[in-house]
Parts: sequence; C-alpha cells; structure tokens
Amino acid sequence: MRDIVKWFDDVRANAGISLDVGRGQIVGLLGENGSGKSTLMKILFGMIPPDGGGIIFKGRELCEHTPGDAIAAGIGMIHQHFMLVDAMTVAENVMLGWRAAGRWLRRGAVGHALRETSARYGLDLDPDAEVGRLPLGRRQRVEILKAILRGADLFVLDEPTSNLSPPEVSALLEVMRRLRTEGKSIIFISHKLHEVLEICDDIVVLRDGKAVGRMPAAAATKAELARLMVGRDVSEPFQRAERPPGPAMLALANIRLPAGEGSVGLHDINLSVASGEVLALAGVDGNGQAELAETIAGMRRPSGGRILIDGVDATRCGVAERVAAGLAYIPADRSQMSLVQAMTVAENLVLRDVRSPPYAHRGWLNRAAQISRAGGLIREFDIRAPGTGAAAQKLSGGNQQKIVVAREVGRAPRVLVALQATWGLDPVATRFVLDRVLELRAYGAAVLYISSELEEVLAIGDRIGVLFAGRLAGVLPRAEATAARIGLLMAGGAEPSPGMAA
Amino acid sequence: MTTAAEGARLQLPALMQRVALTQESLIRAALAVAAALVCTAVLIALSGKDPVIAYLALFSGAFGSIDRVAFALNKATPYLLAGIGIALCFRAKIINIGGEGQIAIGGLGATWAALALPVAHPTAAIALALAAAMAGGALWAGVATIIHLSRRVHEVLVTLLLNFIALLIIGEALHGSLGEVGAGFPQSPLLPATAWLPKLWPRTPLHIGFAIAVVAAVGAYVLLWRTTFGFAIRVAGASRPAALYAGLSVPSITITVMLLAGALAGLAGGVEVLGVHYRLIEGFSYGFGFNAVAIALLGALQPLALIPAALFLGFLEAGALAMQRQVGVPSSLVAVIEGLTMLFILAAMASAERKPQ
Amino acid sequence: MDASSIDFLVAALRIATPLLFAALGGILSERAGVFAVGLEGMMLAGAFGATVATFLTGHAAFGFLASIVAGACLAAMIAIVTVRFQAEQMVTGLAANILAIGLTSFLLRSFVGRGQAPVIQVALLPAWPVPGLADLPWIGPLLFQQPPLTYLALLLTVPIYLMLMRTQPGLLLRAVGENPIAAFAIGAQPLRVRALAVIACGAITGLGGAVLALQQIGTFSDGMTYGRGYIALAAIIVGRWMPFGTLVACLVFGAAEALYLRVQAIGLPISSYVVQMLPYLIALAVLAGLGRSARLPAAIGVAYDPKG
Repeated sequence: MRDIVKWFDDVRANAGISLDVGRGQIVGLLGENGSGKSTLMKILFGMIPPDGGGIIFKGRELCEHTPGDAIAAGIGMIHQHFMLVDAMTVAENVMLGWRAAGRWLRRGAVGHALRETSARYGLDLDPDAEVGRLPLGRRQRVEILKAILRGADLFVLDEPTSNLSPPEVSALLEVMRRLRTEGKSIIFISHKLHEVLEICDDIVVLRDGKAVGRMPAAAATKAELARLMVGRDVSEPFQRAERPPGPAMLALANIRLPAGEGSVGLHDINLSVASGEVLALAGVDGNGQAELAETIAGMRRPSGGRILIDGVDATRCGVAERVAAGLAYIPADRSQMSLVQAMTVAENLVLRDVRSPPYAHRGWLNRAAQISRAGGLIREFDIRAPGTGAAAQKLSGGNQQKIVVAREVGRAPRVLVALQATWGLDPVATRFVLDRVLELRAYGAAVLYISSELEEVLAIGDRIGVLFAGRLAGVLPRAEATAARIGLLMAGGAEPSPGMAA
Repeated sequence: MTTAAEGARLQLPALMQRVALTQESLIRAALAVAAALVCTAVLIALSGKDPVIAYLALFSGAFGSIDRVAFALNKATPYLLAGIGIALCFRAKIINIGGEGQIAIGGLGATWAALALPVAHPTAAIALALAAAMAGGALWAGVATIIHLSRRVHEVLVTLLLNFIALLIIGEALHGSLGEVGAGFPQSPLLPATAWLPKLWPRTPLHIGFAIAVVAAVGAYVLLWRTTFGFAIRVAGASRPAALYAGLSVPSITITVMLLAGALAGLAGGVEVLGVHYRLIEGFSYGFGFNAVAIALLGALQPLALIPAALFLGFLEAGALAMQRQVGVPSSLVAVIEGLTMLFILAAMASAERKPQ
Repeated sequence: MDASSIDFLVAALRIATPLLFAALGGILSERAGVFAVGLEGMMLAGAFGATVATFLTGHAAFGFLASIVAGACLAAMIAIVTVRFQAEQMVTGLAANILAIGLTSFLLRSFVGRGQAPVIQVALLPAWPVPGLADLPWIGPLLFQQPPLTYLALLLTVPIYLMLMRTQPGLLLRAVGENPIAAFAIGAQPLRVRALAVIACGAITGLGGAVLALQQIGTFSDGMTYGRGYIALAAIIVGRWMPFGTLVACLVFGAAEALYLRVQAIGLPISSYVVQMLPYLIALAVLAGLGRSARLPAAIGVAYDPKG
C-alpha cells in the first residue's frame, strides 16, 4: 500500500513538475535559488494555487485547499522560517490551534504526549522550555513535533539545515530516519549535496521551474547532481580584455562576524581583489553574502579582522568615509536599502554623496548641481524615467537598478562591491549591469561581485570563489572554474585545496 | 527574542511614508474635514439644533470682525509652532507627543527669564525670554530623548509621561517661587511690559507670534527640502536601512530633531505667555500639544501646509465660542471635529499606502 | 495598624480600581498587538455612559451596561481605523481620546439643555459589606467594605488571567500579538482576533469609567479621567502585560496618589505637586529600568497585511 503524493502541474507557462512520493520514503528536492522548490511546496501546502495540474494525496485529490486543510489531510510543513511564537513555551506552541488540546488547555495531557513523542523520535524537547531561548536546531524540532502530533504522514522540510551547525544537522538526519522507520514520508528540500545523498532514497533535481532528473540516491554522484543543478557551461559573449592585475585594492584579513539569529556569520574571511580584477563569488543565498558585503561597505562591524582599501586600514571607518575612500556598494535590496522609493530620481542619484560638495555646501543643498548630475547620469546610463523629479518607485525594476548602478559606478570608485545586483531584472537589464561592471574593471577598479546566479559569476569573474556557510570555500582562477567544480563547492563539497586566497 | 516574520511582508504602519504635498494628500485632507463636518452636522441636528444656523454662526464667529480674526490667528499660533516641530519628528519616524509638556516648560522658561532677568530694552527682553522658552522646551524634549535612546523606552510613553510631570512642575512653580502672592488662582505676577510681545496689527489682540510662526514654517520647509539635514530626516523617516546605507546616523538625527521640536514647542509656550496672557497661568496650554499633532497630520507633515491647517483649527475654535454663545451649540464640538478629522485622515492615509501602485 | 494607615490603604484601593479596569482591558488589546493608547477615551466614554444612564433610569445597573457599551463603541472606531485600515496605532488612539473628550462634553451639554449648568448628579454607590468578613479587624474595612465595582475589578483579574494563559482563545490572542503569521499558518484570522480584542478592551475599560462616575465622583465633568488612561498604560508595562502584575502596579500607583492625601494630612514639607508626580515618576523609572528587557508583544504596532 502506498501513500502517494502524485503531482503534475504548470507553475509557469513552460514548466511542469511531476513528483511522486511513496510511503516511508524520503525524497530529496535539489535545486538552486529560483529553481521553483519553495513555490512547489507552497502550492502543496495550500498557500498559493497552482496554475494547472493537481495533487493526489493518499488517494484523494487536494484542490483549492488552505493550510488548515493541508494539515488536516496529514501534510506537515516545516518552514524554512519558523512559524513559532518565541515568547511561548514548546507546549504552548504545540497547542496553538490544535483542537485536541481542548478549549481549556489540557496542559498535563499535552505535556505527557509531548514527552512521549519526543522520546520516540529522539527530539529531546522539554515542554516547558521557552522557544525563543532554544537554539535553532531545537526550534526546528518543535515544528516537527507539531507536525507529528497533528498526525502528519507527509513531512515537507524546506531547507531545514541552512542555519544548523554540523552536530545539529546530524541530529536532524537521525530524526528523519526515525520518521521513516515509523512509515512517514518526507520531502527534503535542500541545495546541499552531501546531506541529500546521505539521507534520501530518491533525488529529484529542479532547475528553472522544471524537474530535470530523478534518480535513486544510491546511483547518484555529486558531480552529476551538481551538473544537473547548474546546467551546462555558459557561453561567453562578453568583451574582456586580458590584462595583468594591478596592486591589491581591497583586502580582507581574518574577517569574522558572529553567527546570530538567521545569520551564519563570517568565519575567517581572507581575500584580496586587485585593481582591474573581478573577484566573483558564487553561492546560494543565505551563506553569508549579505554579511560580507555589508561588512565591507561599513554597515556591519566585524568582530575581528581588518579591511584595507588601497592599502589603507579602513576597518574603523564608517560608511561615509568608505565612500569617500572610493568604495562603492550595490546592495541587494532595492525596496528598502539602495533606494529611497519615495524620493525622486535625482535625490536617489545623489543619495550617498549628497552631503559633500558640489551637491551641498555647508549644509545647504545645491539643487542645481544635483539635477545636472542626475541629468548627466540619466543620459549616460540610459535610465528611463519620467523626469528627474519622478518618484523612484514609479520606475520599473530595471530602471531602478540603473539608478543604483549609475550612482555607484558613476562615482568612478576604486572598489565596487555588488551584491545580487541583477536580482529581479530581465535579461536586458542584467546585461546592462554586467557590462557596466566590466567597464569599471577595464577602467582599473577592483570589483567584488557576489551573486547566486552562477552563469553571471562564471561570465565575468577573473577569479571565481564560493561562499558557503560563512566561509570562503575555495577561489579558482577563471580557467579552472568549471560549472561542475563551482557547483560542487556551492553545495558544500570539498575542493582538493580549499581556501586559496590570492 | 522575537520571531521575525521574515517570510512575509509585515509592514510598519505607513504614517510617515511618502507623505508629499501631492494633490492626493490635499484632497484627502479636504475630504476628511468635509466628512467630519458632515458627521458633526448630524450630531448637531440630533441634539435639536439646526446645523446650518450653527455653522453660519461658526463662520461669522470666526471671520466676523477684525478682532475675531485676530483672536483666531492668535489661537492658531502655538499650534502652528509646536506642530512644525512635531511634523519634523514624524517625518523622521519619531512619534513625539510631548508637545503638552514642552510647551508648558517653554512658558515657564519665558516667565522665569522675564521675571528674574529684567532687561530694559524691549527687543532684548523679548529675545531673552523667548530664548529661555526655546531652551526650556528643548531641554524637556532632550530629557525624553535621552531616556528613549539610552534605555530603549518607547518615545510615545516617555513623552506622554513627561507631559504630566511638566504640568505638575508648572503647578509647583506657581505655588512657589513664581506664584503671585494673594491671587486666587495659580498664576505668576504680571510680567514687565518690556517683555510683552508687540502687536502685529495695532488695536487688535493679534501679536507678532503669528508672524514668528509663519517664519518658522517657512524655515522648516527650507530645512526639510533645501538642507542636508532635512535630507537626512527624510531618508531616516523613509527607511532606516537606507539611512544606514547612506552613511547617516539615526541616533544623531533623532536627538537633533527632538531638540528642534522641543525648542519650537517651547517657543509656542513662550509666545502664548508673552503675547496673550502676559503672565504664566496654570493650565494655559492644556490641549495645545495634542492639537499640534492634529495639525501636523492635517497638513500631511508639510511645513507650509501646516499654516492653513493651523488656521483651520484656530478659526474653528474662535468660531465655536461664538456658536456656543449665539446658538447654544457647545464649543466642545471643535474637539469632535478634530478627532473625527484625524481618524478619517489616518484611515485614508493608511489605505492610500496599501493600494498597489 | 492604626486607623489612618487603613484609611491610606483604602484610599489606595479606591484610586486603583478604575486604573485596574482600564489596565485589564488594555492587556487584552496589547497582547493582541494593538497599542492601547485609547484607554483614556474609552474610560471617559464609559464614565459618561454610566452617569447618563444611571440618571435616566435611576438604577446603577443600567449605568454599568451603558459604560460597557460606550467604551466598546469608541473601541470599535479605533478597531476600524487601526485593524481594518491598518493606520498608525498610537496616533489613532490619540485621535480617539480627543474625540471622546469633545463628544462627551458636547453630549453632556446637549443633554442638559441650554442655560443650565452642565451637571448631572447621581447618587454614589454605597459600599456593600460582605457579611461576616467585613467585621474582621484591619482587612475587614480594607477588602470587604467596598462598593460593588471594586469587588468586580479585583475578581476580574482571575478570569482574565485564566483566559489568557489557560484557554485556546487566549493562546490564539497572544499568538496574534506575537507572530500573526504563525497564527495565520494554523488557520486563524489575525485581523478578526485583533478587532475583537480591542472592542473587549473598550468594554472593560468603560467599566473603569463607571467606577469614577458612580463610585467616586457622582457626576460627569469634562475630561474627568485626567490622564488615568495613560497611567493604566504604564501599569500594563510595569505589570509585564500580566493581570496579576498589573494589579500590583495599579495598587502601587494608587498608593502613590493616596500618599498625596496622606502627606497633606500629616503636613510634611513636601509640596503636593511633587507628590502628585510620584505615579508618573515611578512609571518612568520602572520603564527606564526595564529598558531593553521590557518585552512588548512582538508584533504590537505592526500592521498585519493579509495580502502581504
């Protein structure tokens, strides 16, 4: 007898995914950011409706269902970002919305059931512990416990190990084995190859919203999975002049940032970028990219290590000083950080420079200078805007990013840090950004280009490295950086000579 | 220790975002006022009076004579001054409702300076007293800010509680060193005439405070839109991450804006003392602080728009007294109109925020 | 304990009672994630309702009912603006307070009619001595010879605590205030919960107004709540959003204010104004002392956008 989740659907116009999960089976869902993993699971759980196709769960069709229906049917979702109330205890979180706990909460009975189940599945949870004080690994197990107690037969774990330490990961895998022994089914979503290979029965690889392969774990190799995940090697349409790199413009020595809530921190980052060079860092989002970029930009203070800009120690400098020293930064978040959506195009184009001449003189803004600069940048970078006085939010995503790029690149910086600079952009806008980066490189600036889009990274990096779990997991010169090797590093595989910092 | 809802977009209430002097916000304000007036008309009718007659009395009470107009402008002056400061705070996403206390302490400062430091020359006397008023208000705002920043107490609670304490300080002063011996009412002795504010329009009650307020409004406009500090305020109010990215220091912006707002509120208190009563009277500023918040909202946080907003409230209050005398409709209607207007504007602003662009 | 000390404690309890109603109501609202800045207005509305209804019908019971309805009505307005429209909560509360002051004042005068002094007198509620217990030494006069609403306030602490901490609805309410998305994920409707919490807050706080009108002052006058709603806010924080802690906080504030009367009686050389500052200073000091650790419900003040 098989518990089957059979699924065929069209999430996007030309994509269709079919997925079968049997009873007592762990199926791994492997893919990069944007491959469609999370969307798939949201559809399964009833949070968004599919555009086509359907779901059959335990012999019955699930359609137009809510999360409540999904839970009642026996699907337990362990979200990547926990749906827990930190201020409450484990028991209270379990009881929330649980009919069986009764209107007058039967703390005693629930506590008992909790302890019993916890022991059975090796969860090691204390009903009276406050969830906010638990380490992340334990909190996750509260989610699992909730699902078990509500009678889930299918557990969906969405990137469960992204914030866990290695021992916590082992503990989680052990819990999963126990669930399997009890006849439960699991969908394990991850981008980490070694974990998926270790625990899953079958592995399905997603890319760009399609399922590109399914195989039993026993028959899979890391290399093959990596190749499926990232696709073929990309062709190279970019103009790049080969030139010997100049002196080091940006150098990081032993940069450390403590791990915290939702952050993996940074661990002993050593890197340097030379003038006229692009160091491109690949990696799935959530492995320390924002932390690294913001630390270099001056928005986060490292707990140890030094940052040098053109040989000068800038570790103690604030954001404005680093801008003055020639450091430009393109952040990932257009909506809240790199642009003030409510302000005008002109104001955004001078956002980081507005307090220095010629845009201001002794505290007085020089509107004319701002507008003329804005006009110049708009022409040079071909920003499509209704006018310099239009609010930034009225522009398309691509043009908004052009503002950011124009501002940062237009300053002729010595160092540029770019984080997910092409996120949410169409191919034309993406190409624009990459061309500007290469221009800057030709001009002699040092560029640190961080992106989760492997194609881009491979296209423009002189040297290519990978960020994984807050560490620099290998830096390879362009010639040696194949999609397969980089893909491997991105998924946590080891290189023969790790940590090659130039 | 809180579970951040990272996966979904929980958005902070949008009071402060994108409040620009667009046609939209003006129309919103006008509609809100109109709606409030309609509701109030219904109330008047239910209480047995004719709303049309009542509103006519209101109108004539407000605009009927030069004296009436002067009275209304005087009423508007402290609201405008304090409202400017509050609007700047709100622009920086700082919810300062300590106007009551800051105005009162400002009045206290002006009174003390006029009594304790008599100066022969009128201009100097006034300047000194007003400077003391501004210093007092700024000081009171500064206390609130220090507690807020250093101990992470919510600025609303701190400013609110300090209001009560300030009013009690005034009471204490008036029963003690600053009180007029033998008066039946807690008030200070009459201030020396050198410190009295001259009239803006001779033979009317209108004093130069109104002119000062208008100048302050223009100044605030210039500050907000033409200086780097104003730019910093707007960035910090729009998005704290953007402020960090732009190299701004939010705590330093907070302190400066609060001190400025406190000084303006203190000035409002000083102007009221030196221009209307010529002495410090207990309770002289009851409700001023909250009215200033209402003004700031009505003017969509735009300094120049605060002028008509303050005038609206001033004329409303002036007219309401006449309306009460002539038609018997209680003047507390003003507070009803004010409260309703604020509620409508808040709802309208928030739903304009949520509309998909 | 001498008689004047008993008097002091009785006075403290008397002053604390309206605070307690408001604070208990406010806990419901804040725990669900809505700042209870409108307590002042809700109390005032309740006081007005109580006075008018008792005057018209001659029975205090109708006064109680009217105070509940009046408080709930003002709360409903706040709920619409902050929950349905998701406007800024603090300023909405302020607006509601302004509206309440004006509206009650206006209605009072309309009710009384032109030319007459705007005063409605109602008889004060007498104390209801609890048979047997009222004769106990010391705690007899203190706890068991109080007017009825005082008993109600003290007793109300228990069901509110039980509801919040021991029932599923209470759990849900707290979850909405801490992490509305988690509440949504288990099938609840955060907006509805918040609206109901705010209205319940208004109903309970209205009773605090009834206390003022029917047990303490015997009439309605403009703005008679005079900041008690804000003290109740501080009491909630000092009491860490828990009913029993808030009870203690209200008693402390009541005692601080009663001290003023005592000091007058004794004739200490401390200015009465300084003594009147005590409640506010204590509130500030405790807030500052709690500082970072004052754990508001995590999602308080944050609009929950169901389409977000």
